[in-house]
Amino acid sequence: MRIRNLAVAALGVAALCGASGCRKHARTAKVDPLLAAYDSEADWNDSTKMIPLGYQQAQGKRVFYQYCVWCHADSTPAGPSNRSNLTPVPALLDDGATLNAESDEYLGNIITLGGSALGKSAMMPPYGRTLSPEEIRSVIAFTRAIAQPPYQPPGRPGSQYSAR
Amino acid sequence: MGKVTDRMRFVFAVLSLIFLAVLAISPFKDYRREWKQYKRSYLRFAQGRPDTKRLTADYSPGIDQIWLPGMNVVDRCTTCHQGITQSSLADKSVPQPFRAHPPIPHNMREWGCTICHRGQGPATEVAEAHESTLAWEQPVLPTHFIQASCGTCHQSDLPQTPQLARGRQLLAEFNCQGCHKMQGIERPAMLGPDLTSIGTKVSREWIYKWLKEPRTIVDKDGNVTVNGYETEEEPRMPKFRLSETELRALAAYLSVQKAKALRPYKISPAVVAAWSKNPELISQGELRFRQMFCTTCHSLAVTRAGETKLIGGDIGPELTKVGSKVNTDWLIAWLRDPEAYLPHTRMTRYGWSDEDLYKVSQYITTKLVDSDLLSDVPKLDPPADEEIQLGRGLFIEKGCASCHTIEGVNPQKDFGPDLSALGGKNASELEFGAAKIPHNLVSYIQAKLEDPVSVNPAARMPRYSWNQPDLDAVTTALLSMKGAPPTSAFENLLVPRKPSSFRATGSFAEVYERYKCYACHRFNGYGGDLAPDLTYEGSRAERQWLVEFLKSPQTLRPTLILRMPQLNMSDKDAATLADYLALVMQHPAVNPASKDAKEFTPAMATLGKQLYEVKYQCQSCHTIGSSGGYVGPNLSNAGGWLTPAWIEAWLRNPQALIPDSIEPRRNFTDEEILALTAYLVTLRAGIKPQKTAVNIGALASEQGAGR
Repeated sequence: MRIRNLAVAALGVAALCGASGCRKHARTAKVDPLLAAYDSEADWNDSTKMIPLGYQQAQGKRVFYQYCVWCHADSTPAGPSNRSNLTPVPALLDDGATLNAESDEYLGNIITLGGSALGKSAMMPPYGRTLSPEEIRSVIAFTRAIAQPPYQPPGRPGSQYSAR
Repeated sequence: MGKVTDRMRFVFAVLSLIFLAVLAISPFKDYRREWKQYKRSYLRFAQGRPDTKRLTADYSPGIDQIWLPGMNVVDRCTTCHQGITQSSLADKSVPQPFRAHPPIPHNMREWGCTICHRGQGPATEVAEAHESTLAWEQPVLPTHFIQASCGTCHQSDLPQTPQLARGRQLLAEFNCQGCHKMQGIERPAMLGPDLTSIGTKVSREWIYKWLKEPRTIVDKDGNVTVNGYETEEEPRMPKFRLSETELRALAAYLSVQKAKALRPYKISPAVVAAWSKNPELISQGELRFRQMFCTTCHSLAVTRAGETKLIGGDIGPELTKVGSKVNTDWLIAWLRDPEAYLPHTRMTRYGWSDEDLYKVSQYITTKLVDSDLLSDVPKLDPPADEEIQLGRGLFIEKGCASCHTIEGVNPQKDFGPDLSALGGKNASELEFGAAKIPHNLVSYIQAKLEDPVSVNPAARMPRYSWNQPDLDAVTTALLSMKGAPPTSAFENLLVPRKPSSFRATGSFAEVYERYKCYACHRFNGYGGDLAPDLTYEGSRAERQWLVEFLKSPQTLRPTLILRMPQLNMSDKDAATLADYLALVMQHPAVNPASKDAKEFTPAMATLGKQLYEVKYQCQSCHTIGSSGGYVGPNLSNAGGWLTPAWIEAWLRNPQALIPDSIEPRRNFTDEEILALTAYLVTLRAGIKPQKTAVNIGALASEQGAGR
C-alpha cells in the first residue's frame, strides 16, 4: 500500500520534472571573442592585446591600411611614416584623447570633404570621390574600435536588458 | 467484478489528478519552448526601446523562416534573431540574439543564413541550430573563418576578404598542390626546385642537414622572427620525419644526381690577379651585391641587440648561409645563367662583367657562411650502392617526386588526398584518431596542419610550422573548398577567377624571359605584385625615360627597401623593352601622342605651381627636389618621366587608370587640371649615378624589411 503510494508519487514527480525542464539546457559554451570576430587588430601601444573587430570595423581596417596609414600611424607597411613630414602633425588614428571628442558626422565630413573645407589643414585631402560613404563609415567604425582611451558612444547608455 | 473499495477510489482519485497534471504540463511545456521565450523577450525588449513600432512592425508570434527552394535553404534563424535587419540594433550593447547583422553586400532575405554561417537552418533549439549533434552534423562556422563562405562562390579574390586571399596565397606558395588536388589552385610548371643535377651544387652533408632541419636561422629562443613576426620566411621545404638511415640514404641518392655536368666558367686571370690580393675585394663585393639589389628577392639575417631579423624579399631563397651550401664553381655558373641549371627559375639573368662576378661571388662565399652549419652532421662516406638504391625508394615513397623532378623518376601527381571538397565535410566523415580535440571540421583541419600525425599516426604529410594568423588563413582557404556546386542554383552563383591573357611576343619575349620581368611586375593580369603594374606603362612613361631607367634604375620612392635590381642591361635590351612597353602597353583612353608639352604656356605653369603648393598642398605626399612627403612618387623629374596625356588623365580620375591607386580623386576644374599638368611637365631633373647605394643598404638593415 505504502509502497504503491510512494511509486505513484515518484511517477508524478518524474513526470512533472521531465516536463517542466529539469533537464539540462545545452547552453552554448563561452565563445572566444576572437573566434567570434571577423578580424582583429593589435592594440597600437601593446601588441599582446588583440582587439576583436566586427565586419564593418574590419573593412575600415582594410581601407585604413590602404589609404590612411601613411600619415595617421607611426609605422607603415612600407617602413617609415610620412607623419613627420607634415605640419600640423596629423592625429594618430588610435588617439582617443583627440578623436573621441569628435562626432561621427564631423569625422565623416573631414574625410569626405578634406581639411580645407572644414577650416583645417589642406594637407588632408578629400576622399569623397575615391571612397564610398560605406567605406568612410567603416573607417570611422575602425577608429572607434582602436581608440585609446576607449571610445564611449554618446547618448543613451546601452540597454541593460538581457535576452533571457 | 469485485467490489469497489474506498481504497481503489482513492487510488483513482490520485491517478486522475496526476494525469490531469501531466496533461496540463504539455501546453505549459509548449509555452516554455526556447524559441517562444525568445519571441516574447524580443517583444519586451522592443517595448523598452524608443522605436518600438518599427521594431515590432513585422512581428508574428509563430516561427519565422527564410525559404529559398533553389538553394535548399529553410532558415528559421530569424525566429530568434529578430532584429537582424533593424539598423537601430547595430550597437554592441544590444543583447544577442537581437543584434542587427552588420551591413554586408548581400541581402539576408535573398540568401538566408546557413549559406554563409552553416549550422542547421530548420532547427528550432539553440543547441541544435548552432552545434553538431548526432542528428545534425554541421555546426555554425566561427565568425573568424566566415570568409571561407565568401570564397565558396567568389573564386576570384575580393578586397573584403584578406584572410581568405592570404590563405589561398599560402596554399600556392607552400606548394600544397604538389600532393593535393585543390579547387582554384593551379599546378605551376615547377613546384620545388628541379633536383636533376643537385649533386653538382651541394654536398651530401649539406643535403643531410637540410633534410633534417631546413631552418637554420634562429634567435636565442629558437624562433625565426621577422619584424617581430615569427617564421615569415619559412623555407618552403617542410620538415619530414626521417630516421637516421633514411637521412643518410636520401642524402646519398641526391648527392649522385649529376645529369647535367657542371661547366665551370673561368673568370679572366687578369681580373683575379688584380683583385685577389686587394683588401677591398670583399667590401667591394658586398657593395655590388647591394647596388644590384639582390635583396629585393633574397633576404639576409641580421642580428641586432639579440634580435634576429630577416631583411629582404622572399621571391628567392634566404641567403644568409648560402656560402656554406653551394660550391664556388656552381655559384659562378649559376649567376651567369640561372636557367641553364634550373629551367623555370624566376632568377633574373644579370649582365655580368668578370670583375663583378668575381667580387660578388667572393663576397658570397666568404661572408655569407656559417662554419658551424654542418657541425652536427655525422661523417658521411662516399655513398654506397645500397644506400643510393634505398634513397631512390624513399624519394618515391615519401612523395618527394610530387614537387621535385629527378631524371628517371616519374612525377607523382595527387600523392595526397583530394582536398577540393574538404570544406564541406561533416565531422562523421573525418578520422580523428586518438586526438583529443573537439570533433568538428575546423579543429580537424587545424590539428592536421599543425601536426599531421596528431590525427593520423600513419600520415605521410610533412610538418610545417605556421604562426597563428597563417594557420587561420590556410584553414579559411581550405574551408572555402566545398567541391562541385550541389545544385544548378549554386552553379550560377560562382564568380570564377579572371584568366590572365598576356603573351609576350617577338624580340621583347626573349628579353622579358631572360630578365624575368614578370617575377615582380604584372602585365595585363599576369605576373608578380611586388613592383608597379606595367599594363599601361606605354601611356604613362616617356620612352626615353624608360630606356634610362632600365639602364640605371633610380627609384621613384626612396623609402622602399625592395627595389628594381641593377640588371646591367645592354643598350639593345633596354631599347627592345622600352619600345615594346611604349607601343604595346597602352591604356585605351590615354594616347601619349594626343598631348604635346608645347601647348602649355608659362602662365599656366605658374598657376599650376601655386595650386600645387598652396591650394592643394600636394607636397604633403609628393617630393620635389628635397622637400615634401613620400607617400606618392617623387615628382622632381615628372616632366621627364610622365607623358602630359597621362598626367592630365590621372588628375581627372586616378582610379580610372589604376583602380587601387591611393591618390584621392579631386574635384579639379578643367582649368586647374591644365595648369597642374603644365606645371608638372616643367619639372626636370637629370638622372644621377646611384651614389647613395651604401647608405641605402645600411638604411635597409636598420628599417627592417617591408614593402
